Amino acid sequence: MSSTPQPLLSLERLGKIYPNGTAALRGVDLSVGPGTVHGLLGANGAGKSTLIRILCGATPATTGTIRWRGAAVLWPHPARARAAGIATLHQQIPLVGALSVRENVFLGQRGYWRRGREERWRLSRLMDSIGYHLPAEAPVAALAIGERQMVGILQALAADAQLIVMDEPTASLAAPERQLVHRAIRRLAAEGRAVLFVTHFLDEALALTDALTVLRDGAAVISAETAAVDEAALAAAIAGRPIHRTARAAARAGAEVVAEIDGLRSRGHLAPCTLRVRAGEVLGIAGFLGSGRSELLHAIFGADRAARGAVRLLGRTVPRSPGASVRAGIALVPEDRAAQALVPGLPLWQNITLAHLARFSRWGVFPQGQLEREAAAGAVRRLLIKARALDAPVGELSGGNAQKVSIARWLCGPTRLLLLDEPTAGIDVGAKAEILDQVRALAASGVAVILVDSELKVLLEEADRILVMREGAIVAERLAAQTDEAELIRLAAGAAAGLRRPETLQ
Amino acid sequence: MRRMLGLREAGVYYALALLVAALTVITAALGRPSYLSPVNLINILYQTAPVAIMGVAMTVVLITGNFDLSVASVAALAAAVNILVIDHVGFWAAMGVSLATAGAVGVLNGVMVELVGINAFIVTLGTLTAIRGLVLVLTDGRSLMVRTPAALEAMTNFESGRAAGLPLPIFYMAGFTLLAWLLLRFTTAGRRLYAAGGSPEAARLAGINVRGYKLGAFVLSALAAGFAGVLYASRFGAMNPTALQGEELTVIAAAILGGTSLFGGAGSVLKTVAGALVLYTLTNGFNVLNLGANYQGLIEGSVLIAAAAIYTVGGRRRRPRHSAGPPPGAPDAHQAQSQPAVL
Repeated sequence: MSSTPQPLLSLERLGKIYPNGTAALRGVDLSVGPGTVHGLLGANGAGKSTLIRILCGATPATTGTIRWRGAAVLWPHPARARAAGIATLHQQIPLVGALSVRENVFLGQRGYWRRGREERWRLSRLMDSIGYHLPAEAPVAALAIGERQMVGILQALAADAQLIVMDEPTASLAAPERQLVHRAIRRLAAEGRAVLFVTHFLDEALALTDALTVLRDGAAVISAETAAVDEAALAAAIAGRPIHRTARAAARAGAEVVAEIDGLRSRGHLAPCTLRVRAGEVLGIAGFLGSGRSELLHAIFGADRAARGAVRLLGRTVPRSPGASVRAGIALVPEDRAAQALVPGLPLWQNITLAHLARFSRWGVFPQGQLEREAAAGAVRRLLIKARALDAPVGELSGGNAQKVSIARWLCGPTRLLLLDEPTAGIDVGAKAEILDQVRALAASGVAVILVDSELKVLLEEADRILVMREGAIVAERLAAQTDEAELIRLAAGAAAGLRRPETLQ
Repeated sequence: MRRMLGLREAGVYYALALLVAALTVITAALGRPSYLSPVNLINILYQTAPVAIMGVAMTVVLITGNFDLSVASVAALAAAVNILVIDHVGFWAAMGVSLATAGAVGVLNGVMVELVGINAFIVTLGTLTAIRGLVLVLTDGRSLMVRTPAALEAMTNFESGRAAGLPLPIFYMAGFTLLAWLLLRFTTAGRRLYAAGGSPEAARLAGINVRGYKLGAFVLSALAAGFAGVLYASRFGAMNPTALQGEELTVIAAAILGGTSLFGGAGSVLKTVAGALVLYTLTNGFNVLNLGANYQGLIEGSVLIAAAAIYTVGGRRRRPRHSAGPPPGAPDAHQAQSQPAVL
């Protein structure tokens, strides 16, 4: 649509209707030129994933045309799209954990012989080209998520992809890792490759992309040069309605202390941590990936068997096991909802009642399906969970709804301390606002909340107090009203701005 | 509802019905005694009982995501211990000693797998071999026999006695299956067993004692094997040290025929019993039709693979209906927005 050189990829009136009648895409136009970064935004369920699946050849479009370098193409199989020069990086990059970085990067290469030396040489050239170096022989299982993203990018480059489709590569990354990925993407574009970049972060989309497409209900509602839009317009387009941020009630400084955590530590993960949380208080935890945020939550919840120290809830010591924590009223919403929160074999309602099942059971032994369903239906209503039915398998829920189920589980019991680990990662603006509303409502009802979030803006808006963690230790405490993003980043990165120093582990 | 009657959900019942129908027609056509005669059917049920009992417990182990190869060896050990002590302590005490011995092996399996953290396949392969070795040591490689007439009579009453015209082992099988079914279907423990197998980490973070449930499943499996061993000893009043060798594979085959997942989180004890019945109906059919026993393994193995293929392909076909979009857990299921059935 722009008059610049012929687009690398253009989609014309692309439509997709699934066999069950769901119209996932309703005639989307989109074009990506060489050397550009194109942002793709939209709420969960807007059709982004379907679009990507069509692009990478995993599913055929029902109507419309895909043009690749000007010629209409049909990709009946992912291998064909890959051969044409499209690489797709899914959120969970399928890498072989036991193999090295080098072996993973060249996994899809043809030929029968392993060519170690040649591969090492090519790999180091590829790493130069994105400006990021990884140990070539390190097993991928030992890498952090951000580094795995880089392996995925290298894999795409090794296959000489001209268009790299990235499905929320930064969703689970902390700020420095995110910067790395951004830098790599910019260098790819500078080399003349095109990047189609799916993200939920509006600021990221504005800063990184040249052009933007916003999908809503399967149609493109914004399709423009990035320079021509602003954050408010994007947010409104994604949500389809203005998003209201309700003001948080002032913290109740005099409220009773709900949780007292003394000298909680775990060898190699967590230096002794001592903290207090009051009823109705939201305590934010800031820190980069790997700074010990999740480890602290798991230790409080008793899920870290190596953790030592005392956790008292309303003055009573809680034995160190997840079961004892649940009974005492501690709840954990873990970071990885697919692997740590939801049980795929159980239907929605059983997932919701799983933790407090005994409450819905006669004599604590025989679950009463009717009570369970009523409780689950209540939670579904309260959290605005969108699902086909109470019996729907949880695997078919979108990210935001899955996260809501993971939170709903703890509304079924007497939760006094709620531990939230990245509750808004990879979730669209609408669901995110609804989840944060819910957190606020819980705090208002007297629940103490500890909130870990990589988005500092969320912490600053939601938390009363913010603890900053670095290398497994709490290194600073600030009132949310008296700090800002810049200070938090400075604290989390250490005084020497990112240099890791041993003395920070006190 | 349609799904409940589908090949994947109810396939093992169809297979059983088909098999019985086929054998009935063939025996009638060949002018042999009717296959459907009560005597023959009761005989099949009676023969199935020990494997079905072990299979039910195996299903529970498989639901928790583990694996128990040691059941046949444990059964043989229980049988050997039973015969060794019964002359001295009497029938019921001997039964107690046998079950305690078997249970101890179950605890060992469970501790090794859950607390030490060794893979269940390796641990139970080890106990499969070691416990068989222990049986050889205990029996000194010779057959054992019960000598006291009183004990022998108690054994016969226990194993060959009848109630309502049916041999008692059929009731043991039915009772144990019913109990396990009720446990899995109607209790919190059952729900938690499925959760612990379906997603151990999610179950653990929901406060479920995942290790406890998994360990308990091993103990249950060993106790069921011990009971099957006592049945075996009681049937013959004697045993040789290679008794029940290889029987663990029949037990696992029964669970797989019943559609139990080897990855945990899914399985039904009723279908496992149906699976065991399919296997014994096949065996029985070979006898009734006077086919050479040589073909038996070939046919049974083929049936097992065919069943697994149906479950796998059936499962694959069913899935796209629900999540034609992204894989589970991906943050963008198209249904969520397009069919907003807010409950």
